[in-house]
Amino acid sequence: MRHVVFLLPALLLLLALPYTRGRYNDDFDDGEDIAEFDDNDFAEFEDVSEDPAVDVEKDPPPRAAPSSTPIEDDEDEATVENEDGQDEFEDADAQDQDMYSKYDNEEFEGYEKTNPSFKDTLIYREVPAHLQNSWESYYMEILMVTGLLAYIMNYIIGKNKNSRLAQAWFNSHRELLESNFALVGDDGTSKEATSTGKLNQENEHIYNLWCSGRVCCEGMLIQLKFLKRQDLLNVLARMMRPACDQVQVKVTLNDEDMDTFVFAVGSRKAMARLQKEMQDLCEFCGDKPKSGAKYGIPESLAILSEMGEVTDGVMDNKMVHYLTSHADKIESIHFSDQFSGPKVMQEEGQPLKLPETKKTLLFTFNVPGMGNTSPKDMDSLLPLMNMVIYSIDKVKKLRLNREGKQKADKNRSRVEDNFLKQTHTQRQEAAQTRREEKKRAEKERIMNEEDPDRQRRLEEAAQRREQKKLEKKQMKMKQIKVKAM
Amino acid sequence: MTVNNMADPRRPNKIFRYKPPNTETNPTLEDPTPDYMNLLGMVFSMCGLMLKLKWCAWIAVYCSFISFANSRSSEDTKQMMSSFMLSISAVVMSYLQNPQPMSPPW
Repeated sequence: MRHVVFLLPALLLLLALPYTRGRYNDDFDDGEDIAEFDDNDFAEFEDVSEDPAVDVEKDPPPRAAPSSTPIEDDEDEATVENEDGQDEFEDADAQDQDMYSKYDNEEFEGYEKTNPSFKDTLIYREVPAHLQNSWESYYMEILMVTGLLAYIMNYIIGKNKNSRLAQAWFNSHRELLESNFALVGDDGTSKEATSTGKLNQENEHIYNLWCSGRVCCEGMLIQLKFLKRQDLLNVLARMMRPACDQVQVKVTLNDEDMDTFVFAVGSRKAMARLQKEMQDLCEFCGDKPKSGAKYGIPESLAILSEMGEVTDGVMDNKMVHYLTSHADKIESIHFSDQFSGPKVMQEEGQPLKLPETKKTLLFTFNVPGMGNTSPKDMDSLLPLMNMVIYSIDKVKKLRLNREGKQKADKNRSRVEDNFLKQTHTQRQEAAQTRREEKKRAEKERIMNEEDPDRQRRLEEAAQRREQKKLEKKQMKMKQIKVKAM
Repeated sequence: MTVNNMADPRRPNKIFRYKPPNTETNPTLEDPTPDYMNLLGMVFSMCGLMLKLKWCAWIAVYCSFISFANSRSSEDTKQMMSSFMLSISAVVMSYLQNPQPMSPPW
């Protein structure tokens, strides 16, 4: 097909040759050669025109190959032809069709017009994207990098916001804390106990402050638990599920600073959750959270208490006033002499020892603003810190009466007995294994003794011990039998 | 609000030092996110390197960034840097081996 396309202009020019021959006298020999050439040329044309179908159906091979022969043939003639031919090549197929229309239809006798199918046989090779030299094909990568940049931007902005909030909180509370505590700010690493006077940054969103050196308490740990503003994923998750910044205050008390009771008040949801999670609330405050309406606190708050006397003692006028005026900011308040943290799930069943307890007051406050806090909001938490200080002093003064004390002691011994019962079998097993271990250790020692005399003596001593134990057991059994009788 | 009109409540002789809470006895207090993200990042970067998957390598970069953002200040920076470098190298290697742009999954 390409042959025909290319040779047509050649044909034209050949026809026009007589008029141009004058110019190419140097290049051309006399008529004979031209005549020969013309014959060959026409012969070629004839061949091509007889089998146009074949040419049309054939896939056009790389353009360079078929064009080479016509170019060679026409080389002797004007070079203008080549250029024309190449021009024809560079144009699209549409051009070819235009060419056809320009020529006499008689030229194409025997040539079947199969133009429409011509297009189907052409296969466009895709240039691989990375060779295309355009940035647009890398749009996924650009998207990724943009995402990373957005993450980094958010990290910097979130970190700064959290830092500003923490600083604002500290600035507004500094005076109160410094007037109440001898040591404000300690990270535990310095040799001497001097106030660092600044927050201890644990994370990009958690700040700690340890205060100590006051009557009625051992120390107070304040944790500013901000939202993870520095993590973009978290920011997006918070758009689905709003959350707020929290301030957690944990006051640890000495033994003489608090009487034995367990008490909690807070939002209903928080109370329900704490009752399930916290070891001491679970054991000592079995009843469902009660409403505090009879004390005058809003319905949104619920009370968990070991006994009524405790609630009466804690809920004095000042406390009620605090709770009512700041109910929206209070998540939970938890006073306990048996505080041991949340329930620990152990793999081997129950733990063998009762968890260590510490007399603690726990306060969890919600920062107003539901995530969109500004540094000014931190001032509104100051009255709550006053409440904390007031509670510390109050708890020191709060003493149960005789009945209350008896009840409390009974509760505690009940809990302990329950625990011992539950772990009885396990403790027995543990004791058994310990005894076996001891025996084995002794046997090994005997075996390892090199001196045969000493070996014998040790063996005898062990045997005597065993005998004694057996006798003791038999005596005990006899005694029990007698008693039973 | 005055705490005690009579006396200063501060007692310098009753100072206790700060003891960081023992997280071994109470694992619920710890946030596992940075550790998980670190592990995920390493797994994805290995996948990206071995299987020559570009998207794996990019996710690994994201994971290491998230792990860094959530990490505690007491944590070793070497660990963070190593996972970060690993994910960057996964991305670079994937592109060196196959400079074609990533094709979206749709």
